[in-house]
Amino acid sequence: MIAQEWLTKIRALPQNSPCKIMNVCGGHERTLSLGGVRTVLPAGIELIPGPGCPVCVCPEEDIYAAIQLALREKVVVATFGDMLRVPINAGKQTVRSLEQARAKGAKVHPISSPLEVVALTQQQPQQKIVFFAAGFETTMAPLAAMLAQGIPQNLSILLSGRLTWPAVAKLLAMENDPVLLPARKETVNPSHSRIFDALVAPGHVATVMGTGEWEFVVKQHHLPVAVAGFTVEGLLAAFYSVLRQRAEGRCFLDNCYPQVVKPAGNLTAQKCLKETMNVVDAQWRGIGCIPRSGFELKDRQIDARYQFPDYTSEGRERRGEMPAGCECAQVILGRIYPKECRLYGTACTPRHPIGPCMVSDEGACRIWWSAGLK
Amino acid sequence: MCLGIPMQIINIQGYNAQCEAKGIRREVNLFLLQDEAIIVGDFVLVHVGYALQKMTSQEAQTTWELLDQLMAPT
Ligand code: SF4
Repeated sequence: MIAQEWLTKIRALPQNSPCKIMNVCGGHERTLSLGGVRTVLPAGIELIPGPGCPVCVCPEEDIYAAIQLALREKVVVATFGDMLRVPINAGKQTVRSLEQARAKGAKVHPISSPLEVVALTQQQPQQKIVFFAAGFETTMAPLAAMLAQGIPQNLSILLSGRLTWPAVAKLLAMENDPVLLPARKETVNPSHSRIFDALVAPGHVATVMGTGEWEFVVKQHHLPVAVAGFTVEGLLAAFYSVLRQRAEGRCFLDNCYPQVVKPAGNLTAQKCLKETMNVVDAQWRGIGCIPRSGFELKDRQIDARYQFPDYTSEGRERRGEMPAGCECAQVILGRIYPKECRLYGTACTPRHPIGPCMVSDEGACRIWWSAGLK
Repeated sequence: MCLGIPMQIINIQGYNAQCEAKGIRREVNLFLLQDEAIIVGDFVLVHVGYALQKMTSQEAQTTWELLDQLMAPT
């Protein structure tokens, strides 16, 4: 079905109350923002970008550790390109990003695939290489495959992998806690206190992990969920599903991307993840610890956290926090839109990013800015 | 980072495949699809160099169109 037909179907649904639909994927947000989808939906439907950017929530102390490894140990740090410009909290005179460390002569190597990391270790067999890997399940599964195939002696991993669903569980838990949850500054209906009324679940995470992970939103919180693909049509189909579920007063977990997403996901990928990594409580930058939301390497022999001094725990000001004045944490938690940050588009732009959400291609601030949203 | 790209398999050697998308060739790892029957000509969803899932040529086409629209330099 084409976009126009989905819109017609959505408009034909009875709209009796405002509805906030959250997405938790930078890819979804990109389609929605660049496709101008917000402007064509009926009034009362609010589309909220949530925790959909692994680079944005990568612990500040892990980035600090990667910088220190690059500067103080005789290693090459390989990392996804997005990580290079993410700023840590440090004085103006000090090195504040991997990019700045590289400018100071440290060996920092941007990569776009674990395969490039393996190639790098083979080109430089005498060189110790640390792969600083942040990402959600879609990136952790390839990393697990790399580990399962066996990695070269000179490679170790600084892992900052995260799971998507525990962040949504955390959001829903916070909802009942007024201290943790100050009111959103801008909402369709301010008396309406839910963070979201319906969830669009990330299609490629579900491709790997299966759809069942999202069942808790339906079972425990009685909210509609639809797994969505990445086209405008795919997302409108998911919106139609959750809005219709609401209109009919029932909720279930719908798979609106069955072309690619199998209910059980990719079992080989899940097996590789289980064999190579543990699921542990983990820090999210500016947000804090989320139970069972992080990956940890099973094999300490390849874990850079055990191979090198523990730089993450070095005491520093604003350690673990977002940069001063940056509201990324609020953006990630779906409490404010990017444009509600005072620095958005003024002090903070992709050219001069203040916070990680303006650095990463999956950061809501970056996406909104590239879509011209003001 | 979580957006996979459809690619078509050109040749396969063990877990390594040469894949192509819109004239661009890349090495793709098939380890995560080891339990599936994969043959030359198949379309796969590739993320950070690893194939995550088989897909139909029609789905591949739809996704390429989306990427064309979205990945225009911003
Ligand atoms: S606009 Fe910049 S400073 Fe504000 S929340 Fe986004 S990244 Fe942070």
